[in-house]
Amino acid sequence: MREGAGPVFACRGVTVRYGHVVALAGVGVDFERGMIHAVVGQNGAGKTTFACVVAGLVEPESGELSIDGQALSGGDVNEARSAGVELVHQSFALPPSFTVAEAMQFGAEGGGLYTKSMLEKRWQPHLDGLDVRVSAKRRIRDLPIETQQGVEIARALVTDAKLLILDEPTAVLSPEGAQKLFERVRRLKALGVTVILILHKIREVLAVADTVTVLRGGRLVEGPIPCAGVDAGRLAELIIGPAAHSLGEEEKAALTGAAIPTHSDDISAPARAVPILEMKSVSTRPDSEGPALDAVSLAVRPGEIVGVAGVEGNGQRTLVRAISSLIHVTNGRIAIEGRDMTVAPLGERRAAGLRVIPFERNVEGLSLTSALWENWSARGLLQKPLLSAISPSGLRRRCAAALDAWDVRYADVGQRAGSLSGGNAQKVILSREMDEEARLILAAQPTRGLDIGATAFVWDALRKARARGCGILFVSSDLDEIFDICDRVVVMLSGRIVAEFRPPFDIAAVGAAMTGVTR
Amino acid sequence: MTDRIVSVLRAIVFIGIGLALCGVIFEIAGYSAPLMFQSIADGAFLRSGALGHALRWGLPLFITAVGVAISFRAGYFNIGAQGQFYMGAIAAAFVAEWLNGWPAMIVIPACFVAGMTGGALWALWPGLLRLKSGADEVITTLMGNFLASLVLVYVTSGPLKDPSGSGQQASSRPLDAAYRISTSYGLSPTIVALAVLVGVLMWLLVNRTAFGVLAGLAGRNPTMVEWQGARIWRIGLASFLISGALAGLAGTIELMGPNGRLAGGFLPGHGFTAILIALVAGLSVAGTAFVALFFGGLASAALFLPVMAGLPSAAIDIINAAIALFITAKSGMIDRIVKFGRRAWTRS
Amino acid sequence: MDEIIVAILRSGTPLVYVTLAGVIAQRAGIWHLGLEGLMITGACATILGIVLTGSLALALLIAVVLCIVGSILFWFVVEKLRANQIIAGLGLTGLGLGGTSLAVQSIFGAQAAVTAPFGLPRLGPAFGAYGALSVLVLLMPVFVFAIWVLLRRTRFGLRLAASGEHPFAARGVGVNPSIMRLVALVLGGALCALAGAELAAGSLQIFAQNMTAGRGFMGFAAVIFGAGHPVGATFAAIFFAVVGAIGIRAQLVFGDRIPHDLLLGLPYIATVFGIWLSAKLRGGARAAVGFGELRDP
Repeated sequence: MREGAGPVFACRGVTVRYGHVVALAGVGVDFERGMIHAVVGQNGAGKTTFACVVAGLVEPESGELSIDGQALSGGDVNEARSAGVELVHQSFALPPSFTVAEAMQFGAEGGGLYTKSMLEKRWQPHLDGLDVRVSAKRRIRDLPIETQQGVEIARALVTDAKLLILDEPTAVLSPEGAQKLFERVRRLKALGVTVILILHKIREVLAVADTVTVLRGGRLVEGPIPCAGVDAGRLAELIIGPAAHSLGEEEKAALTGAAIPTHSDDISAPARAVPILEMKSVSTRPDSEGPALDAVSLAVRPGEIVGVAGVEGNGQRTLVRAISSLIHVTNGRIAIEGRDMTVAPLGERRAAGLRVIPFERNVEGLSLTSALWENWSARGLLQKPLLSAISPSGLRRRCAAALDAWDVRYADVGQRAGSLSGGNAQKVILSREMDEEARLILAAQPTRGLDIGATAFVWDALRKARARGCGILFVSSDLDEIFDICDRVVVMLSGRIVAEFRPPFDIAAVGAAMTGVTR
Repeated sequence: MTDRIVSVLRAIVFIGIGLALCGVIFEIAGYSAPLMFQSIADGAFLRSGALGHALRWGLPLFITAVGVAISFRAGYFNIGAQGQFYMGAIAAAFVAEWLNGWPAMIVIPACFVAGMTGGALWALWPGLLRLKSGADEVITTLMGNFLASLVLVYVTSGPLKDPSGSGQQASSRPLDAAYRISTSYGLSPTIVALAVLVGVLMWLLVNRTAFGVLAGLAGRNPTMVEWQGARIWRIGLASFLISGALAGLAGTIELMGPNGRLAGGFLPGHGFTAILIALVAGLSVAGTAFVALFFGGLASAALFLPVMAGLPSAAIDIINAAIALFITAKSGMIDRIVKFGRRAWTRS
Repeated sequence: MDEIIVAILRSGTPLVYVTLAGVIAQRAGIWHLGLEGLMITGACATILGIVLTGSLALALLIAVVLCIVGSILFWFVVEKLRANQIIAGLGLTGLGLGGTSLAVQSIFGAQAAVTAPFGLPRLGPAFGAYGALSVLVLLMPVFVFAIWVLLRRTRFGLRLAASGEHPFAARGVGVNPSIMRLVALVLGGALCALAGAELAAGSLQIFAQNMTAGRGFMGFAAVIFGAGHPVGATFAAIFFAVVGAIGIRAQLVFGDRIPHDLLLGLPYIATVFGIWLSAKLRGGARAAVGFGELRDP
């Protein structure tokens, strides 16, 4: 291997445009060899685009890239891979039906025929050598998320990688899982691999990285800054930018993961009020979308936000689907406002005041190719008989009024929902789901992928709904935001609720509950 | 508005490309492409009385196409219009046979009810298989077409066989003239009125009812509508039944109007052409009416070609197929041209 | 018994070849409804090729080339113009059916069928009752095995599967999913040509308009019924052929008591049954891939 003296990766003036949106504007950085480099920024800052440019998945419009002093033409994965660059994606990128061994093989050198046992013999030592504890025979889709990530990293290292990029690897992990990941990254560093970690929590940056680079709005703000001696508060301000002065210290810290937030709201829910949602030992069957619920009991009272924490894929999705009548409940009962709704269809539950902000904004929340007014009126139209007459112009007017009230930036209610930015699209969903009659709001990952301004907006909306007396169930995999806005937190593990916490929250205890460590 | 312009331009450009491909195929097969296109244009649009012929073929196609558009809008690839069309005609023919001798005032409405029911039932089973079990409707409705063709052959050579019929083509006994709703020319006030009625009702259904908006949403994204609390299968089943009933209605019109009898394998391209019409019209009910007229013209040219120009009628099938190949194509090219044009326009 | 097996192999072999084409396309992420059109093109080109050139090799070459050209056209429309796979596939089928009709009419006038003086080489008397079958029948298991190895036991197969299942993952290791689909469709095109050749020149030596009678679609259904596995789909195709053979036997046994035309429908009913059963067992293999622009991604 050729060892140059200069930076392992360097770029100058890298610009990427998606249509009218400038994703990266003239970014230039040098990364030193053998270090862990963090790249931070809010959602939409261009972090993932940057990672894709380095890995050759996105071709920059202009700019220069080099690995080890050797210029790359850009936009060519094979070229980047043969130069030693590998990328591990945020949402994992291995075909779910493959076995672990097949997932290794399909990215490896050397074709030819193989048998299953040959494959396993070839790849099991590789996995073991990287301390990824998994049988090469298992299928990707059956693996827990932390193992999947290990397999991803092992996949990235089937060739002689000298630069490994991990795109938001901690987003799906428990605090303990993140610690394990950092140890693994440090070991790779010891082996001489340079690692670029895309992160969005300052705390994690300071825990693992040697340098930090801040992106905002597609531009390089500063970096790489040596992490030794960098101030968390200043980093938070670099990430947030000019908007920082309008946010409180507490909120700033929660939004950038600078410090573990303490719960600041002093609203205590009336403990004796009739719960808006009451689940008594609810069980379901497992299906393709997640594990089964196992005797889940949970109550949400008016005027409180109950957080559901847990590593993704531990039944949070099934919980929301069970309350929304989208999965058959085999045992137990669900009551909304004291009325038994165990077998009631979603339409009836919605009539009783249930509202859902679903996990996947662009699939479950909106029809991207439909007009805004159609998306917005769907809930109202479903309350009527199918053949009832409607007036499209009236619906358009009402939709426009609602969207204006929610501060949605749009040109025309006839435009497609897909043409809105993530934050605006989420506001359309909020305007539909958080109406006056809403009583119980299921907010499933409502801030995922949103920038800091939009995240603060969503939090604010949820707090206002709580003030009106709504009960809110808030599902998130980000403990910082859960701690910031929830009045109570339950932890899910393998389809069960394993612990409940009240403020002040102890991140170590919650983290331990998430991974099933009892203390 | 730009969306609309882009989609119309796109349709025109890709139909153009499709026609160019047809030209190549004609030349390879040994025909002169200019002569072929000239003759088709003559047969479809230029000869005297072309509009009447286009209407005669276009109105039943319009009715079937509106049904196809409704099921496509709701997200179901019901490509069984041909089979539903046959089954509607067969059901109507049976009723006409049983009620032979009764007054036309009774027989004609009964035939229409039977025809629509027959078509709807032939759409019902693929619909149920799809909605209850998730069995892919593309294959089941296609197989439904083949089965219906066989049933048609069986019926015309068995139970409804015309004993006086000669030649290889089996056909049913001709309908009593009192029960016909048009002459064999195929255009009559009754047929026009039926088409207008279907057009108006379906336009209202799609554009002015909750069903229309929800079915459109469900077709583009069923998951989202489910999370809103809709029972998708009700919307889906209704769409299947409506599209089947309309294809059956078209079959009944062909039977009781221009044809006057069933014949094995009659109008084999009807369903496929109706699917094309719906797609070219972008699944809009109003657009379907105009596009149906165009394809009605082409359909009438298929009869004109061999007789007047000595050219094979398969040319029309090829044109239809080439349009199908390209009609759903999307290309950034056209959007860019429109955008550029608009920028140039606003600048000047 | 031999007689029945011969009948099954005779009708099943073309179906297996076209099914294999569908399996490869499905693995690469394409639901291929153009199989019917390619198959009839192969059948027509083989017979017309024999009649016009007098050489079987040349005829097969023409058939394969035409089917590959059709496949490339389909790839271009689906992949580069992002057309809907289902509708474009039906369009390709229409072009095949219409184009072959046109070709026959242009060369032979309004004739319904074209007969060739000879067809594919036969197995010969050494095979006894099976001697009248063509060599493609004997080669069928070889093809099934070869395609199984290609798809399930090579890195190429893994990359093809990744291109269909998770194109993003394929791009991540430097594979171009679009090119993989082109390769899959070209291979499939060649197999469709063989399917057509076997259908028209395997035992009959005749080409008639629309003679595929939905076999391409049944091949597509066999892919779903067989869960996309080469061997499973082959068995599904043979199952359809068995049902067809039973229908023909039943006709001989029952004579006129059961209408002949309805017995011809048995394979179609079997196909519907197969699709229903696989949906029941595997929770609905969704073939229809939406309307592209008309539907959310």
